[in-house]
Amino acid sequence: MSIEPIVGRYVNVTINGVQQRIYFEEAGQGRPVLCLHTAGADTRQWRHLLSDAEVTKTNRLIAFDMPWHGKSLPPEGFETQEYLLTTEAYVDTVLAVAQALGLDRPVLAGCSMGGRIALQLAALHADRFSGFIAIEASDFQPAWYDIDWFHRPDAHGGEMGAALVSANISPHAPNAERWNTLWMFMQSGPGVFRGDLSFYTRDDSLIARLPRIDTAATPVHIIVGAYDLTCTPEDAKRTADAIPGATLAVMEELGHFPMSEHPAGFRPFFVDALDKMPAA
Amino acid sequence: MLQTFRNLQQALDDKPHILHLGRLFSETVLIEVDGAEYYLLFEKGHLVSVTEGPSRKTPWRFALRTDADALARFWKDLPEPGFHDVFGLVKTGRGRIDGDILSLVKNLRFFKEVLALPRATQGEGQ
Repeated sequence: MSIEPIVGRYVNVTINGVQQRIYFEEAGQGRPVLCLHTAGADTRQWRHLLSDAEVTKTNRLIAFDMPWHGKSLPPEGFETQEYLLTTEAYVDTVLAVAQALGLDRPVLAGCSMGGRIALQLAALHADRFSGFIAIEASDFQPAWYDIDWFHRPDAHGGEMGAALVSANISPHAPNAERWNTLWMFMQSGPGVFRGDLSFYTRDDSLIARLPRIDTAATPVHIIVGAYDLTCTPEDAKRTADAIPGATLAVMEELGHFPMSEHPAGFRPFFVDALDKMPAA
Repeated sequence: MLQTFRNLQQALDDKPHILHLGRLFSETVLIEVDGAEYYLLFEKGHLVSVTEGPSRKTPWRFALRTDADALARFWKDLPEPGFHDVFGLVKTGRGRIDGDILSLVKNLRFFKEVLALPRATQGEGQ
């Protein structure tokens, strides 16, 4: 028998006038590190790092489920709404959660759309954070698929989404973790993956904001997997090149969900990234 | 190449979980390799026949057009980036999908696992 050190709780916050009950998990003590999941998934993507005694010895890792994801319910009245995430709503949510949890200039670590929003926050609200770890993150890529595939009455959006994103998982990933990663997409609520992708594949506002990021004040480290078809190493390099002082690491044997699909393979890259961030 | 695709028939029948994924899939899929046509007829998930072209009379639901070298690299146990997934072939310009793409997407896990059967990992990697 073993009990993992992760503790989960709920925080109630009002974001843009809407009450949200947000689930978050945390483990460790010391420097706060706020972790953002990818589109169509939830905090479980971070569970291996939250259970890593070495990492959490000096870092307080916190991950939360975005509204509509995981154990965070959609807001009241969702049954008549079309879920479409926006850069503005995502930025406001991250800031609100950080404030509600009393986090003092945490490191912000995000993957995929979470990495995209980490770079947006580096450009727009750098004073609220101490540094940024942007994983599988880039300025912008248009969709190479039709996002409407993943929300239709005659097919299971979760199963289709999982089958699609499996294209982004490395063949080096342990089989059990590949399928644990895909399960989150299979469980995603109706239209949620589509709603996440709508902003991720259509909002290119970050491109013009990248040069204003001041890495002397808040370092930016980008990590990308060679097997990522959505955010390729070329996409990540182009993005890093546009941010003066940003650093980049390419993981040759990993894909788009590195902390989840291959925890052991990702760990050294994340530890290296934490080392590049300011101490608490 | 014809024999490679015909070998899929038994390999698929040996994988009940993949047959289950394809239990509603009864379609013809065209796979074109270096211009040579292979028509794969599926019935309720079973691959009941593989027929060589060329044919202008055989209707198909969707097609994957690629080349033999790309497929050989796709079928490696640990493929290089870009050759690890059918959409990787498309994204790197080594493959093209035509026809009813929505039919493919609705049956995407099934089709990917069938196409990956020649791998040593027997499709687990998909």
